[in-house]
Amino acid sequence: MPEIKVTPLGAGQDVGRSCILVSIGGKNIMLDCGMHMGYNDDRRFPDFSYITQNGRLTEFLDCVIISHFHLDHCGALPFMSEMVGYDGPIYMTHPTKAICPILLEDFRKITVDKKGETNFFTSQMIKDCMKKVVPLNLHQTVQVDDELEIKAYYAGHVLGAAMVQIKVGSESVVYTGDYNMTPDRHLGAAWIDKCRPDILISESTYATTIRDSKRCRERDFLKKVHESIERGGKVLIPVFALGRAQELCILLETFWERMNLKAPIYFSTGLTEKANHYYKLFITWTNQKIRKTFVQRNMFEFKHIKAFDRSYADNPGPMVVFATPGMLHAGQSLQIFKKWAGNEKNMVIMPGYCVQGTIGHKILNGQRKLEMEGRSTLDVKLQVEYMSFSAHADAKGIMQLIRMAEPRNMLLVHGEAVKMEFLKGKIEQEFSIDCHMPANGETATVTTNPSVPVDISLNLLKREMALGGPLPDPKRPRTMHGTLIMKENSLKLVSSEQALKELGLNEHQLRFTCRVQLQDPHSDPDTLNRIYTHLKSVLKGYTIQHLPDGTVMVESIVIKVSSSAEDTSTKVLLLSWSYQDEDLGSFLSTLLKKGLPSGLC
Amino acid sequence: MDRECASLLPSVCEVLADSGRSVPDDTSLEKLLDWFTELTEAGGSLLEACPCLLKFISTVVHNTASDPGVLSFTLRLTGLMAATEDGFKMLQEQSVLNQVFNLQHWQEAGLWDDPCLRIGWIQGLRSTLQHPKALRFFVQSDFIDSLLQLQTDTSLFVASAANQMLAHILLFFQKVLSAGSNGVSKTEEEDERRIHHSVTDLEPPAVTMETSAEYSAVVKGISEYLKESLIPKEKTKLHQSLQILKLLALLLAQAGPPLRDKLLQTVTDSLEQLVTAGCSRLTLPLMDVILAANRGHHDTVHTARAVRILLLPLDIITGPTLLGTNATADEHPFSVVEQLKSKTSCISMICVCLTNTPQITLTLPGVLPCPPVLIVTAVVSLLRICSGTSSSSSTVCSEVCRNVIGSGKVQKCALEALTALNSSPGVKEKISEVFTILIQYLDNPDSDPTVLHKSYQALVKWIRACTDLSLITDQLRQDLVEVVRKRACDMRWEVRDSTVEFLGHLAGVHVSVSSGEEVCDASEALLGGCCTTPLLREALQDTESYVRASAISALAKTLTHSWRQGAALTQDQTEIVSRLLEILSQDTEGFPRRAVVQYFISWFFSRSSHSPPSSSTSSTSLLMECVRTVLSQGSADLDWEVKVHTLELAELLLDQAFSAHRGYRKGSDAHRALQHPYGVVSDQAYALHTHTGTHTEGVQSDLAHVVEQGVISALLSGLVDCDRPVALKACRLLITLRETICPLSLGALDATAATATVSCELLGRGWGQEITKILGMEKSDRAREADVSAQRSSGAADGGGDSVTVSVCEVLRSLGLDERLDVLTQSSDHIHNSPLSLLQDILTASGAHTHPDTKPGQEVIVDCY
Repeated sequence: MPEIKVTPLGAGQDVGRSCILVSIGGKNIMLDCGMHMGYNDDRRFPDFSYITQNGRLTEFLDCVIISHFHLDHCGALPFMSEMVGYDGPIYMTHPTKAICPILLEDFRKITVDKKGETNFFTSQMIKDCMKKVVPLNLHQTVQVDDELEIKAYYAGHVLGAAMVQIKVGSESVVYTGDYNMTPDRHLGAAWIDKCRPDILISESTYATTIRDSKRCRERDFLKKVHESIERGGKVLIPVFALGRAQELCILLETFWERMNLKAPIYFSTGLTEKANHYYKLFITWTNQKIRKTFVQRNMFEFKHIKAFDRSYADNPGPMVVFATPGMLHAGQSLQIFKKWAGNEKNMVIMPGYCVQGTIGHKILNGQRKLEMEGRSTLDVKLQVEYMSFSAHADAKGIMQLIRMAEPRNMLLVHGEAVKMEFLKGKIEQEFSIDCHMPANGETATVTTNPSVPVDISLNLLKREMALGGPLPDPKRPRTMHGTLIMKENSLKLVSSEQALKELGLNEHQLRFTCRVQLQDPHSDPDTLNRIYTHLKSVLKGYTIQHLPDGTVMVESIVIKVSSSAEDTSTKVLLLSWSYQDEDLGSFLSTLLKKGLPSGLC
Repeated sequence: MDRECASLLPSVCEVLADSGRSVPDDTSLEKLLDWFTELTEAGGSLLEACPCLLKFISTVVHNTASDPGVLSFTLRLTGLMAATEDGFKMLQEQSVLNQVFNLQHWQEAGLWDDPCLRIGWIQGLRSTLQHPKALRFFVQSDFIDSLLQLQTDTSLFVASAANQMLAHILLFFQKVLSAGSNGVSKTEEEDERRIHHSVTDLEPPAVTMETSAEYSAVVKGISEYLKESLIPKEKTKLHQSLQILKLLALLLAQAGPPLRDKLLQTVTDSLEQLVTAGCSRLTLPLMDVILAANRGHHDTVHTARAVRILLLPLDIITGPTLLGTNATADEHPFSVVEQLKSKTSCISMICVCLTNTPQITLTLPGVLPCPPVLIVTAVVSLLRICSGTSSSSSTVCSEVCRNVIGSGKVQKCALEALTALNSSPGVKEKISEVFTILIQYLDNPDSDPTVLHKSYQALVKWIRACTDLSLITDQLRQDLVEVVRKRACDMRWEVRDSTVEFLGHLAGVHVSVSSGEEVCDASEALLGGCCTTPLLREALQDTESYVRASAISALAKTLTHSWRQGAALTQDQTEIVSRLLEILSQDTEGFPRRAVVQYFISWFFSRSSHSPPSSSTSSTSLLMECVRTVLSQGSADLDWEVKVHTLELAELLLDQAFSAHRGYRKGSDAHRALQHPYGVVSDQAYALHTHTGTHTEGVQSDLAHVVEQGVISALLSGLVDCDRPVALKACRLLITLRETICPLSLGALDATAATATVSCELLGRGWGQEITKILGMEKSDRAREADVSAQRSSGAADGGGDSVTVSVCEVLRSLGLDERLDVLTQSSDHIHNSPLSLLQDILTASGAHTHPDTKPGQEVIVDCY
């Protein structure tokens, strides 16, 4: 039986970095190639030596598919393609291809900032890697080679995020990447065909959570920012340049407009213009509202949000600043944080997760005294808030996607083991399908139904039509009779007459015969008559004839009666039938073995 | 271990041992183990330094409800502690080792099913196996069978770890034993340590007869297993054979002669059986084994055989030219042809063959079945077949050829092989043929961007290797010009970029047109001067920023020659310069702006190194004018690399101004050794200048000149930049400057007095304001508030803020540069990745997780970034 194998090198029962290997129909595909920001050595990248010891990734892999631009999904790509060595095709959507290098460059800056960083790639490597990328359009089937095809679907989550369907012959796998099933301020909800894949590989970040409505979180966020501004405090929001930063900008912009607020909002590092440029460029990837209003007013051209200059941080009075990077581990956000941390009127809002070793991680865990370089200590007096604005499907959303795609099997990645276990139970119960959750390095194997394509002759189809019944429909399988011919590696279903003709064969009739003993103390013709009457009453709607040559015929079945020489009341019935009427023939023999009813005349 | 860490460790152990609490972050345990490894490597005893660990291990091991991650960590930690003989002895006395590595215990507790625990078991044991006592423990506990079983574990990670461990036992103790008998060189030992990243015992372990016997038993056990299990029981179940082939390749590549011979002796029969079985999935791993066996094995008979086997697929596809016509008899080409008929295995085999061809051509001539030039011809023929322009001369193999036609994998692999073959002996005569096929690939509409990129790379490499280009006919040159012109306006930016990069690379290659003639750059020789610059100028307008950046770099390379010669600027070049300044001020992307600054760096550098600085040609004055603009715009750029490059330009100006002066250390040599590996370093040579004599006036005027050029402003703005690499570079340059113009040493007071009169202006906003603040010249908050409101009401960005004028020397002395350098050389996460910070994080996170008043929905969920 054919098998599909899925082996996560990363994101198997964790949310470190996604890298999932799929073997389907003899093809090997890598889904995402992410990096773990918590390490500063080779452990931040997936270990490709598990795939091949000699760095021959190009030979082993048929293609790499990247779901979206977050570094835990694409950060190891230049390492893989330029340092380990991979020359094969890499697929991602147009926006992902455009934005990926920006984030990779941004991260490169941070690594230069750190000491003891090893094995990190250069700008040239990022470019050379991006040159190997083949862009994908939504809903367009791309032929990777003769047998392997892929198709991207909208995933929400961040600009350009895609789910992808991988197909070899009749086998298929869908990988969701990160997705969300509810539209937000700037993006739409994920959507997919009812494509019935053999496996649906889904992220499960919020596997056990039914998230409160986005509106609540937004209201909470605005309330906190507003309160802080009102009491004259400064609000720092550390963000990564692209993604939820834009969502929060729209939110604040609208709120400032409505409330007629005067405190300045700044966005650092010039990435605003760049980000806005990409949102404009890929406006079709945003949600309906933004696309509609775009004609009147570009949602990403902000009236209240201005570019930040490093000296503004010292300005007196309230302000809101979006600064990069998002985990407070270097650069501008860290510089501002150090300046503002000592004042309890100020506030920092962390809109996402921070890895260990960052200031973000420390303050989220409640540390209030931070050691700094030069033996100084920083007293954190400002208010620390955590508000996740990441766009992932919650438990309800995941179930909704399963209903949409109707997979035959389910496989969970990108989540914590305990939460996966819970969701797995729910899925198996509700949909009666198998749900796998392999750990990193473990392989989940799913056997698929072999599907062999067969041509069918037009004549046979026409004859089937002539018999009446509904028109042929690929979604409603039904039985057809014909002769299967294997000729030159192809299979053909034809009518038996055509098969005979094509193969130059003569037709032979095959008849089955059978003896049945019956106790009936009558003469042979009487017995035959009794049988005729009996059958007539039992088999309504069949052609039953009592022939003058002393036989009864039911369709092609011939019945004769003779008596035993020793005992005339023991009759021997001879039945014979052609193979087409085999069912009826065996039914009759069974029926007659039971004897004739006594009331017959 | 410092005292603070030692005092926190017991509570951390408590947190980790408490099964009720989950581990806060998936990297914490790994990092904790890193720290312990460091401590051990530094020669300390973990057991002595942290006695609490022993209790921790016993507690965790006995608590079957422990988190599997913590258990795995504990197993590895135990291994680390038992890596020294003393540690081992102590753990054994406490009977900890037996408990920790007791398989039955884990199986009965149902924890063995967790792959994370199996990995911990393997890695823990592996750390332990650094001395004979550990080997005895391993043999006596009968772990070998369990380990061999794990070699085919369902988890890829476990199976791989088991393979590594088996290789470690065989290789490590082989070395130990041979060291015991005839001494092992230090470097070999170090190599071993490096390869395995493991903690090795520092003292050479005492070798006894028992050790030798135990080792022999282990070798026997393992090699017998390899022999038995290599042949698959069922043809479809190849997992075990694959794993064993991987292990063999690993072992044969590293094993010394006695072990290698023993292994080969034991498994040769099984290997041959496997070869004749003809499982195509095993072909590649088998080839790996052949390559590995050959790697350390330099006798000509084996090498020659290996070479013939490797070249066979290429020979079959391109027609028997490489191995001679009698290849049929000895190489079983029938079975190879059969395998080549399957598309997948055909492509894999031909790729392995191609990857190895460059190395093959470098082996001894006696070993090669044919001269290297024939291999080049074969690769060229293969490329032709791939592009569908020729079919194989061997009719038998047309079926095989069908598999490689249009295959991107084979094309890329063949192009890479061809690129590397440029340096093989005696192949230069093939350049014309190589050119023809590469131009054909460049012209082919079906070539994908990567294939085009590789074709360009191959061209450059061949041109570089062939200094005499007279073999290239005019027709070929014309074809090249045409194809380059066509590709320079390709629809795909990837192709345009490769084309532009190619033009830059060509300009950097120096060739002689025919023997004895003048040397010129390859772009002029091949494309005839008139094509390159117009194409590159066009590319400055490209819609893709990467292409614009490549065009700028290529232009710099093209013009370097004329800069060096001090040639007068053409109209064309002047126009390019104004376009570049436009890009620096207006381009929205960082790459072209970085390239612009580098363009001026190379112009400044090529000019100043070859013409006297006083020569005031129009070219020099334009350059100096531009430098001023670049310094002011570059240091205000948003991209950190533009800023770093700008500081490099400032450095060149400082070098020029002060290199003649006493005390100036060019290129801040003092810090060079500390430079970060990814820091940008220009490749010029630096020399320490020891000029004597005082040039007080000279210093003063040079300093005034440097201020006027905007160098000081660039350095000061860099100093307060939020991007650390920028601030660090600026800080180092400022210190160098301070040492030159106003050293704090007593003898230089004269010079100081004169230079003190040179001043610079600090604006009341931006970096100027920050510098003023550091200098303690800041305004009161009230005054600033007034400024800000004035700024807002006027609406102009440069509205508010008065400027102040300060003496350069005073600024340099009052900025606390040395302290700043101290802080800046530590990285931003220097503190936060320290062991103390890690321990604190584990403690506070466990506190936060169990905090009773965490509101629902407030829980920090690991999501994405």
